[in-house]
Amino acid sequence: MKTKLFLLALITTFQLAPAQKLVSKNGHIWFYSHTPMEDIEAHNRQAVSILDPGTGDLVFNLLVKSFEFKVALMQEHFNENYMESDKYPKSAFKGKIANNSAIDYKKDGVYPAEVSGDLTIHNVTQPVTTKGTIEVRGAAVTAKAKFILKPSDYDIAIPAVVENKIAKEVEVTVDAVYAAN
Amino acid sequence: MKIRFRYILAFVVLAVAAAVFVWKYTFRPSDSSVASQKADVEIEATELLHAFETDENAANMLYLDKIVVVSGTVESVSEDTLNISIYLKNSDAIAGIICSFDKKNLEISPVSKGMSVRVKGICTGYLMDVVMNKCSLEPGIKK
Repeated sequence: MKTKLFLLALITTFQLAPAQKLVSKNGHIWFYSHTPMEDIEAHNRQAVSILDPGTGDLVFNLLVKSFEFKVALMQEHFNENYMESDKYPKSAFKGKIANNSAIDYKKDGVYPAEVSGDLTIHNVTQPVTTKGTIEVRGAAVTAKAKFILKPSDYDIAIPAVVENKIAKEVEVTVDAVYAAN
Repeated sequence: MKIRFRYILAFVVLAVAAAVFVWKYTFRPSDSSVASQKADVEIEATELLHAFETDENAANMLYLDKIVVVSGTVESVSEDTLNISIYLKNSDAIAGIICSFDKKNLEISPVSKGMSVRVKGICTGYLMDVVMNKCSLEPGIKK
């Protein structure tokens, strides 16, 4: 219901706003956990993101169950034990590009972007600030960023048995290609 | 002495077998598609979307993590380096079903806009569209 209202609001804004919003439905978000015992990575290629070039407002939404691991059991544990994705099926980021005025969405180039906002994972919201890039090439806009997050900040409990296999700090990479909607 | 040796041998063989079994189970790779698995539900794309639009929580209970066969009309097909994604949508709707395929499981050529297809996959939830992963194309393609 919330999403529907959100969609409705989105459509209305599309019609009113002079500048079009940019939408990505196949954003690639992946994380990498490195320990001497084990390297783990999982990829989500269906993140939805909306970027407003006029204001720099930036939103990401993803389904936790869309993360794919190489090992089936890891994916099971990730969903059932750590992320509890039945209870909390989504993760979201809502923020802003702080230096949006320095980005010319009509001119090709790679622009540094300073992003800050709220990241919600496992029903816990934390402020996040990171540096990334906005690449403009014709009509295609690509947003890239990389940041570190701590599972413990999001109340994700790692049992002692696997403590050495899951990093305390996980590297998250974001890569989304937008099209004008 | 001989009997004791046999017991030890039997024990070792069993222990090794158990270890191999546990190892294989623990590190079994993820399937790239659900082609070989039995579907839990079969449903029309519009009906599935409608379920999520009207009551997302209820639809999550029904379809999340389930193997679903969806039939619908292809709106667009896109591909990147690893995946092909088929977007099922009615021309008059604002949302649809995004079905993601591992490239090795789909010949892109036979699928084009306007076709009716049946897709089997795992439903992972609803953002702007309903998302299906690890998909495979089911027989029964109609013109």
